[in-house]
Amino acid sequence: MEKATDMEMEREEVEEEETESVSDVLRDRFRLSTISIAEAEAKRNGMEISEPIVACISDLAFKYAAEQLAKDLELFAQHASRKIVKMEDVILSAHRNEHLATSLRSLCDDLKAKEPQSERKRKKTPRKENKATTSVVHILDN
Amino acid sequence: MEDENNTFDPDLIHAIFKLVWTRRALERERNDVADALDCEVGAGTSKKNRQTSANGKAIKLSSELLRIFITEAVQRAATIAEAEGASKIEATHLERILPQLLLDF
Repeated sequence: MEKATDMEMEREEVEEEETESVSDVLRDRFRLSTISIAEAEAKRNGMEISEPIVACISDLAFKYAAEQLAKDLELFAQHASRKIVKMEDVILSAHRNEHLATSLRSLCDDLKAKEPQSERKRKKTPRKENKATTSVVHILDN
Repeated sequence: MEDENNTFDPDLIHAIFKLVWTRRALERERNDVADALDCEVGAGTSKKNRQTSANGKAIKLSSELLRIFITEAVQRAATIAEAEGASKIEATHLERILPQLLLDF
Protein backbone atom coordinates (compact mmCIF):
# COMPACT_ATOMS: atom_id res chain seq x y z
CA MET A 1 0.00 0.00 0.00
CA GLU A 2 2.85 2.38 0.81
CA LYS A 3 4.50 1.98 -2.57
CA ALA A 4 1.27 2.87 -4.29
CA THR A 5 0.96 6.09 -2.31
CA ASP A 6 4.55 7.10 -3.02
CA MET A 7 4.17 6.55 -6.73
CA GLU A 8 0.94 8.43 -6.62
CA MET A 9 2.56 11.34 -4.91
CA GLU A 10 5.32 11.46 -7.48
CA ARG A 11 2.82 11.34 -10.28
CA GLU A 12 0.86 14.13 -8.65
CA GLU A 13 3.98 16.25 -8.41
CA VAL A 14 4.90 15.74 -12.03
CA GLU A 15 1.37 16.55 -13.08
CA GLU A 16 1.44 19.68 -11.01
CA GLU A 17 4.71 20.81 -12.54
CA GLU A 18 3.40 20.22 -16.03
CA THR A 19 0.22 22.06 -15.26
CA GLU A 20 2.26 24.97 -13.91
CA SER A 21 4.34 25.37 -17.04
CA VAL A 22 1.30 25.12 -19.31
CA SER A 23 -0.39 27.62 -17.07
CA ASP A 24 2.58 29.99 -17.36
CA VAL A 25 2.50 29.85 -21.15
CA LEU A 26 -1.22 30.58 -21.14
CA ARG A 27 -0.76 33.40 -18.69
CA ASP A 28 1.86 34.99 -20.94
CA ARG A 29 -0.34 34.75 -24.02
CA PHE A 30 -3.19 36.16 -21.99
CA ARG A 31 -1.05 39.07 -20.93
CA LEU A 32 -0.15 39.91 -24.51
CA SER A 33 -3.80 40.12 -25.47
CA THR A 34 -4.60 42.14 -22.38
CA ILE A 35 -1.91 44.66 -23.25
CA SER A 36 -3.40 45.27 -26.63
CA ILE A 37 -6.99 45.48 -25.37
CA ALA A 38 -6.07 47.73 -22.44
CA GLU A 39 -3.97 50.11 -24.48
CA ALA A 40 -6.67 50.46 -27.10
CA GLU A 41 -9.26 51.19 -24.43
CA ALA A 42 -7.02 53.71 -22.69
CA LYS A 43 -6.52 55.50 -25.98
CA ARG A 44 -10.27 55.52 -26.54
CA ASN A 45 -10.55 57.36 -23.27
CA GLY A 46 -7.82 59.79 -24.20
CA MET A 47 -5.38 58.36 -21.68
CA GLU A 48 -2.17 56.45 -21.43
CA ILE A 49 -1.83 53.51 -19.13
CA SER A 50 1.28 52.51 -17.23
CA GLU A 51 2.79 49.10 -17.95
CA PRO A 52 2.76 47.63 -14.47
CA ILE A 53 -0.91 48.52 -14.23
CA VAL A 54 -1.68 46.61 -17.40
CA ALA A 55 0.23 43.63 -15.99
CA CYS A 56 -1.79 43.92 -12.83
CA ILE A 57 -5.10 44.00 -14.72
CA SER A 58 -3.95 41.04 -16.76
CA ASP A 59 -3.12 38.95 -13.71
CA LEU A 60 -6.45 39.88 -12.16
CA ALA A 61 -8.37 38.91 -15.27
CA PHE A 62 -6.44 35.68 -15.66
CA LYS A 63 -7.13 34.79 -12.07
CA TYR A 64 -10.79 35.61 -12.57
CA ALA A 65 -10.94 33.46 -15.69
CA ALA A 66 -9.17 30.49 -14.19
CA GLU A 67 -10.40 30.54 -10.64
CA GLN A 68 -13.84 32.00 -10.83
CA LEU A 69 -15.23 31.83 -14.33
CA ALA A 70 -14.05 28.34 -15.24
CA LYS A 71 -15.27 27.00 -11.94
CA ASP A 72 -18.65 28.73 -12.12
CA LEU A 73 -19.24 27.55 -15.69
CA GLU A 74 -18.48 23.98 -14.76
CA LEU A 75 -20.75 24.15 -11.73
CA PHE A 76 -23.63 25.70 -13.67
CA ALA A 77 -23.37 23.09 -16.39
CA GLN A 78 -23.22 20.31 -13.83
CA HIS A 79 -26.20 21.81 -12.06
CA ALA A 80 -28.14 21.54 -15.29
CA SER A 81 -26.95 17.93 -15.60
CA ARG A 82 -24.76 18.72 -18.59
CA LYS A 83 -21.15 18.02 -19.41
CA ILE A 84 -21.02 20.80 -21.97
CA VAL A 85 -20.92 24.43 -21.01
CA LYS A 86 -23.33 26.51 -23.07
CA MET A 87 -23.97 30.19 -23.63
CA GLU A 88 -26.67 30.29 -20.99
CA ASP A 89 -24.06 29.28 -18.40
CA VAL A 90 -21.86 32.18 -19.38
CA ILE A 91 -24.74 34.62 -19.17
CA LEU A 92 -25.70 33.22 -15.78
CA SER A 93 -22.17 33.77 -14.50
CA ALA A 94 -22.58 37.49 -15.25
CA HIS A 95 -25.75 37.77 -13.21
CA ARG A 96 -24.25 40.21 -10.71
CA ASN A 97 -23.87 42.93 -13.30
CA GLU A 98 -27.08 43.68 -15.16
CA HIS A 99 -25.37 45.83 -17.77
CA LEU A 100 -22.90 43.09 -18.49
CA ALA A 101 -25.58 40.42 -18.61
CA THR A 102 -27.52 42.48 -21.12
CA SER A 103 -24.51 42.99 -23.40
CA LEU A 104 -23.83 39.29 -23.31
CA ARG A 105 -27.43 38.46 -24.06
CA SER A 106 -27.39 40.56 -27.21
CA LEU A 107 -24.15 39.01 -28.34
CA CYS A 108 -25.72 35.65 -27.62
CA ASP A 109 -28.69 36.52 -29.84
CA ASP A 110 -26.34 37.66 -32.58
CA LEU A 111 -24.41 34.43 -32.41
CA LYS A 112 -27.60 32.41 -32.54
CA ALA A 113 -28.81 34.39 -35.52
CA LYS A 114 -25.72 33.40 -37.46
CA GLU A 115 -26.51 29.75 -37.04
CA PRO A 116 -28.17 28.41 -40.20
CA GLN A 117 -30.08 25.65 -38.49
CA SER A 118 -31.93 27.75 -35.98
CA GLU A 119 -35.35 26.21 -35.81
CA ARG A 120 -36.97 28.40 -33.25
CA LYS A 121 -38.92 31.49 -34.08
CA ARG A 122 -37.23 34.45 -32.50
CA LYS A 123 -38.20 38.05 -32.24
CA LYS A 124 -36.18 40.07 -34.68
CA THR A 125 -33.50 41.89 -32.75
CA PRO A 126 -31.79 44.88 -34.35
CA ARG A 127 -28.08 44.34 -34.88
CA LYS A 128 -26.79 46.89 -32.41
CA GLU A 129 -23.71 45.87 -30.52
CA ASN A 130 -23.99 47.23 -27.05
CA LYS A 131 -27.54 48.40 -26.72
CA ALA A 132 -29.91 46.39 -24.61
CA THR A 133 -32.68 45.40 -26.93
CA THR A 134 -34.79 43.37 -24.60
CA SER A 135 -35.59 44.33 -21.10
CA VAL A 136 -37.60 41.20 -20.58
CA VAL A 137 -35.75 38.37 -18.99
CA HIS A 138 -36.21 35.39 -21.21
CA ILE A 139 -35.19 31.87 -20.47
CA LEU A 140 -32.75 30.46 -22.95
CA ASP A 141 -33.60 26.87 -23.41
CA ASN A 142 -30.84 26.19 -25.90
CA MET B 1 -7.54 52.71 -37.36
CA GLU B 2 -8.22 49.38 -35.78
CA ASP B 3 -7.86 46.61 -38.23
CA GLU B 4 -8.72 43.73 -36.02
CA ASN B 5 -11.31 43.48 -33.40
CA ASN B 6 -9.24 43.66 -30.28
CA THR B 7 -10.25 40.64 -28.33
CA PHE B 8 -9.05 37.45 -26.77
CA ASP B 9 -8.30 34.51 -28.96
CA PRO B 10 -11.12 32.01 -28.28
CA ASP B 11 -8.59 29.17 -28.44
CA LEU B 12 -6.60 30.75 -25.65
CA ILE B 13 -9.67 31.05 -23.44
CA HIS B 14 -10.67 27.49 -24.29
CA ALA B 15 -7.17 26.29 -23.36
CA ILE B 16 -7.38 28.02 -19.99
CA PHE B 17 -10.74 26.45 -19.24
CA LYS B 18 -9.55 23.02 -20.32
CA LEU B 19 -6.56 23.30 -18.04
CA VAL B 20 -8.76 24.08 -15.06
CA TRP B 21 -11.36 21.44 -15.90
CA THR B 22 -8.72 18.76 -16.43
CA ARG B 23 -7.23 19.52 -13.06
CA ARG B 24 -10.64 19.33 -11.42
CA ALA B 25 -11.48 16.08 -13.19
CA LEU B 26 -8.21 14.59 -11.98
CA GLU B 27 -9.03 15.57 -8.44
CA ARG B 28 -12.42 13.99 -8.71
CA GLU B 29 -10.81 10.86 -10.06
CA ARG B 30 -8.45 10.69 -7.13
CA ASN B 31 -11.33 11.10 -4.73
CA ASP B 32 -13.25 8.42 -6.56
CA VAL B 33 -10.34 6.00 -6.31
CA ALA B 34 -10.08 6.68 -2.62
CA ASP B 35 -13.78 6.00 -2.24
CA ALA B 36 -13.61 2.91 -4.41
CA LEU B 37 -11.01 1.37 -2.17
CA ASP B 38 -13.44 1.67 0.68
CA CYS B 39 -16.48 0.26 -1.00
CA GLU B 40 -16.81 -2.37 -3.64
CA VAL B 41 -17.62 -0.17 -6.60
CA GLY B 42 -14.98 -0.11 -9.33
CA ALA B 43 -13.17 3.14 -9.99
CA GLY B 44 -13.75 4.81 -13.34
CA THR B 45 -17.34 3.74 -13.50
CA SER B 46 -18.32 6.98 -11.87
CA LYS B 47 -20.51 8.94 -14.24
CA LYS B 48 -19.36 12.22 -12.85
CA ASN B 49 -15.90 11.93 -14.18
CA ARG B 50 -16.16 12.75 -17.84
CA GLN B 51 -14.47 16.08 -18.21
CA THR B 52 -16.45 19.24 -18.72
CA SER B 53 -16.12 20.88 -22.12
CA ALA B 54 -17.59 23.97 -23.71
CA ASN B 55 -19.31 24.67 -26.97
CA GLY B 56 -17.84 27.19 -29.38
CA LYS B 57 -20.42 29.88 -28.80
CA ALA B 58 -19.94 29.68 -25.05
CA ILE B 59 -16.21 30.21 -25.56
CA LYS B 60 -16.86 33.22 -27.78
CA LEU B 61 -19.14 34.65 -25.15
CA SER B 62 -16.54 33.99 -22.45
CA SER B 63 -13.88 35.74 -24.52
CA GLU B 64 -16.18 38.72 -24.78
CA LEU B 65 -16.83 38.62 -21.05
CA LEU B 66 -13.12 38.72 -20.32
CA ARG B 67 -12.58 41.48 -22.85
CA ILE B 68 -15.25 43.50 -21.05
CA PHE B 69 -13.48 42.85 -17.75
CA ILE B 70 -10.39 44.51 -19.15
CA THR B 71 -12.19 47.41 -20.77
CA GLU B 72 -14.29 48.06 -17.67
CA ALA B 73 -11.18 48.11 -15.50
CA VAL B 74 -9.43 50.53 -17.84
CA GLN B 75 -12.48 52.69 -18.43
CA ARG B 76 -13.33 53.05 -14.75
CA ALA B 77 -9.73 53.83 -13.85
CA ALA B 78 -9.55 56.31 -16.72
CA THR B 79 -12.58 58.14 -15.35
CA ILE B 80 -10.84 58.57 -12.00
CA ALA B 81 -7.59 59.64 -13.66
CA GLU B 82 -9.40 62.16 -15.79
CA ALA B 83 -11.25 63.60 -12.81
CA GLU B 84 -7.88 64.22 -11.23
CA GLY B 85 -6.45 65.83 -14.32
CA ALA B 86 -3.92 63.07 -14.92
CA SER B 87 -3.07 61.90 -18.42
CA LYS B 88 -1.81 58.48 -17.47
CA ILE B 89 -3.61 55.73 -15.61
CA GLU B 90 -1.62 54.71 -12.56
CA ALA B 91 -1.89 52.38 -9.58
CA THR B 92 -3.73 54.87 -7.45
CA HIS B 93 -6.51 55.09 -10.04
CA LEU B 94 -6.81 51.34 -10.44
CA GLU B 95 -6.82 50.85 -6.70
CA ARG B 96 -9.91 52.93 -6.24
CA ILE B 97 -12.07 51.15 -8.78
CA LEU B 98 -10.94 47.67 -7.86
CA PRO B 99 -13.44 46.83 -5.10
CA GLN B 100 -16.50 47.64 -7.19
CA LEU B 101 -14.98 45.93 -10.23
CA LEU B 102 -14.47 42.72 -8.32
CA LEU B 103 -17.99 42.90 -6.93
CA ASP B 104 -19.40 43.35 -10.41
CA PHE B 105 -17.79 40.27 -11.90
